[in-house]
Amino acid sequence: MSVQSYNEDQTDALQEVANIAMGQAGDSLARILDNFVTLSVPRIRQIAVHELADTVTTMVGDEEDVSAVRQAFYNSLRGEAIVIFTQSGADELAELLGYDCELDAAIEQELLLEVGNLLVGAILGGISDTLGTEVGFSAPSLMAERTPLHEMLAPDQLSWEHALLVEVNFSVEKHRFKSHLLMFMTEETIETLRGILDEFMDDF
Amino acid sequence: MAVPLTVVDDSRISRKMVIRALPSGWDVEITQAENGEEALAAYRAGKADVMFLDLTMPVMDGYEVLAHLQKESLNTFVVVISADIQPEAQERVKKLGAMAFIKKPVKTENIVAVLEEYGLI
Repeated sequence: MSVQSYNEDQTDALQEVANIAMGQAGDSLARILDNFVTLSVPRIRQIAVHELADTVTTMVGDEEDVSAVRQAFYNSLRGEAIVIFTQSGADELAELLGYDCELDAAIEQELLLEVGNLLVGAILGGISDTLGTEVGFSAPSLMAERTPLHEMLAPDQLSWEHALLVEVNFSVEKHRFKSHLLMFMTEETIETLRGILDEFMDDF
Repeated sequence: MAVPLTVVDDSRISRKMVIRALPSGWDVEITQAENGEEALAAYRAGKADVMFLDLTMPVMDGYEVLAHLQKESLNTFVVVISADIQPEAQERVKKLGAMAFIKKPVKTENIVAVLEEYGLI
C-alpha cells in the first residue's frame, strides 16, 4: 500500500497537536523528577521501516547504548509508541526519582517502565483530547536494555512496513537525563488521522 | 485606534487558533511572525505594542525573545501562549518580563481575563 504524504497544513496541525500533548507530558515528567524539563519542537516524518534505524540514529545520536520501552495504542488511532532513554540518562533516573540505594536490574527496569508509561499516557491523552478521538493503550514492555540503537531498530524487531513518525524530546537541565518519544502509526492510521486533522483544521 | 498586535508561533494552525480566539470587540492590527527573529523585527517596525508569544520555536525561541526585549529595555506587553505548562516555565517567563501566561490550546475566556486584568479592553 502506498501512502500519500501529508500536505503542509496537515503536518503543521499534527505538529501543533503533538506540541500541546508534549507540554502535558513534560509537565507530568517535571513533577515526578522534580526538575524543569526542556522541550523541543516536535518532528513529524513519514518513513519506511528500512529507513528507520538511520532516521532515528540521526535524531538520538549513536554515541551511547540505549534502553527503551514500547507500548501499543489502539482504537481510532493504531500504532506503537517507543520511549528511548540514552544509557547515561537511564542510569541517572533513579537518582532523579530520589532513590539512594544500590539498584538492581529489576528496579531499574521498573523505573524505565514507569517513566515510559507516564510519557506515553500523557502524550496519547493530549493528542486524543485535542483531536477529540479515543485512544487506548497497552501495558508497557521493555524493548531493549543497554543495546546499540541500530540493533534495537532492526526491521525484524518491528511489526510494520511504513509509518508516520512523531518525535518529541525531553531533557532535564544540568542532568544527563534525556528521552526521545517516537510514535509510529500504521498505514491505515495515517489515513484515519489525515481525516481527523482535516476536520480539526476546519474548526479554525 | 487599533492596537498593533504581533502573534508569534512557528505553527500556522496555532497562530490561526490564537487569532480566532481573540475577543471580537478588541480593535487590533494583527501581524504574524514565525519565529523570534521575525517577532523582534515586527516590534522594531512598531507592529507589536502587544505580543502573543510562543516558547518552543526554531531559529529563535520565546525565551530568547524575552531576554532580548529585557536586555534592550524594549517596551511591549508580552503574553506567552505555550503548551509548556510547567509552573517553572511560567515563573521563568514572568521573570523575563512576560506579563501573563496562557496555556494552549488557547481559549477566548483566558485571553479576555488577561486583557481585562491589565485594562487593555
